[in-house]
Amino acid sequence: MGLARNILMIIVLLILVWAIFLLVSYVITVTVLYTLELPGDTIISIARVVLGLIIAGAWILGWYKLTKLWLYKILLARKRET
Amino acid sequence: MLEAMVSGLVTFFLAPAVIMLGRRLEIVGVDVHKPWKPIVPKTGGLAIILGATAGMILGAHVSGFQLLIPVILSCLVAASIGLIEDLRGEINPRLKPLLLIFASLPILISGAYSPRPLIPFLGRTRLYRVYPVLVIASYPVVCNAINGLDVLNGSALLTSIPFLIMSSVIFYMRGDLQLLILSLVFLAAAVAMLPYNMYPAKTFIGNSGSLFIGAGITSIAIMGGIEVAAIIALMPHIMNEMYVLFSIRGLKSAKNIGKRPVIVEDGVLTASKDPDAPITLLRMICAGNRIDERRAVYAMTLISAFATLLGFLTHILLLGG
Repeated sequence: MGLARNILMIIVLLILVWAIFLLVSYVITVTVLYTLELPGDTIISIARVVLGLIIAGAWILGWYKLTKLWLYKILLARKRET
Repeated sequence: MLEAMVSGLVTFFLAPAVIMLGRRLEIVGVDVHKPWKPIVPKTGGLAIILGATAGMILGAHVSGFQLLIPVILSCLVAASIGLIEDLRGEINPRLKPLLLIFASLPILISGAYSPRPLIPFLGRTRLYRVYPVLVIASYPVVCNAINGLDVLNGSALLTSIPFLIMSSVIFYMRGDLQLLILSLVFLAAAVAMLPYNMYPAKTFIGNSGSLFIGAGITSIAIMGGIEVAAIIALMPHIMNEMYVLFSIRGLKSAKNIGKRPVIVEDGVLTASKDPDAPITLLRMICAGNRIDERRAVYAMTLISAFATLLGFLTHILLLGG
C-alpha cells in the first residue's frame, strides 16, 4: 500500500507541475501577446524573450521547491508518524 | 515499417554477441542492487546503437527518408561520448554537457527543425534566434536526463518507451511517415533490448545506450515539432536530473557525493532520510517504504506513462494535435 500511495502522490505532484506549466504558458501569452501587435523592434523582441525565460526559470525553481516540500513533508514524513 | 523490424531484429539478435564481447573485453559493471553483486557487461547499448542505426540507414537509403541522416549522426555523436565513459570511466561532469552539445550540430547544420514551436495558448511562436540555442541546450539536458534514470535494471528503457509510443501515435495521426518510422525504429530497438536488460539484467545498456536513446528522443521532439509534449512526457526524467543538480548544488560526479539518495540492504531499497542526500525520483518512490528493484522499476514506468499521457493530452487538446 505504501508504494501505491507514493506513486499516487508523485502523480499528484506531476499534475500540479503540469497545471503550473499551463498557467505559466498562459501568463506568458497574456504578457507577450499584445507586444506582437507592436511594430517590429529589437528591444521589444529581446525583452519578450528575457521575460519568457524569467517566467520559465521561476517555474523550474517553483517545481524544485514543491518537490522538496513533497518529499520531506509528505512522502518521508508519513513514516515518522507510524 | 521494414526499418522498425530491422531495428528490432538486429538489436535482439546482436545482444548475445555484444554481451559476450563485454565479458571478453571486461567492459563490465557491478549490479549493486542485488545481494550477490553480479558482474554484468555494460555493452548492451551497442546492440541498440547498431540495430537502430541499421533501421535508420535502411530508411534513409532504401525508402529515401533523408531526414534520418542528421539523426543518425546526432545519435552516434552522443553514443560515442557514452562509449568513452563505458570504456574509460566517467567524463568530467562539467565537460560532458559541453561535449553533448556536439550532438545537436547535425540537426542545426542540416536545418532539420522549425524555429516555430507550438506553445499552449500562445500558438505558433517565432523563435528564429532563440530556437537554435534551445536546440543546443536540449541535447545535454535530455541525454543526461535519460542517463540519470538508468539506475535500475530496465529503468532507462521502460521509462523511455512511453515517450516513443506517444510520438509514434502523434506522427501516425499526423500522417508523417518519415517521423513515424524514426519513432518506431527507436521503439523497436528499446523493446528488443528489454529481455536482456530487465531484472535480472544480463547486460546494462551503458552510457552509450542511454545517451544514444536520449539523442534520439531529442531529435524526434525537435524534428517532429512536439517540444511541449516532450517536456511534459519527460517530466519525471527532467525532474530527476533537476533535483540532483539543485540538491547537490551544481554539476558533480556521482562518486563525489557522499550522501546516497537510496540505501540498499539485501536487494531491498529504502529512501535516505538525510536532508543532504540528493533528491531523486527513486528516493521519492522508496520514501517510507522497503521495496525491491522490480517494483521500483514498475513504479518508475507507471509514473513515466502517466506523464506521457499528460503530454499527449496537452498536444491533442491545447496544441490541436
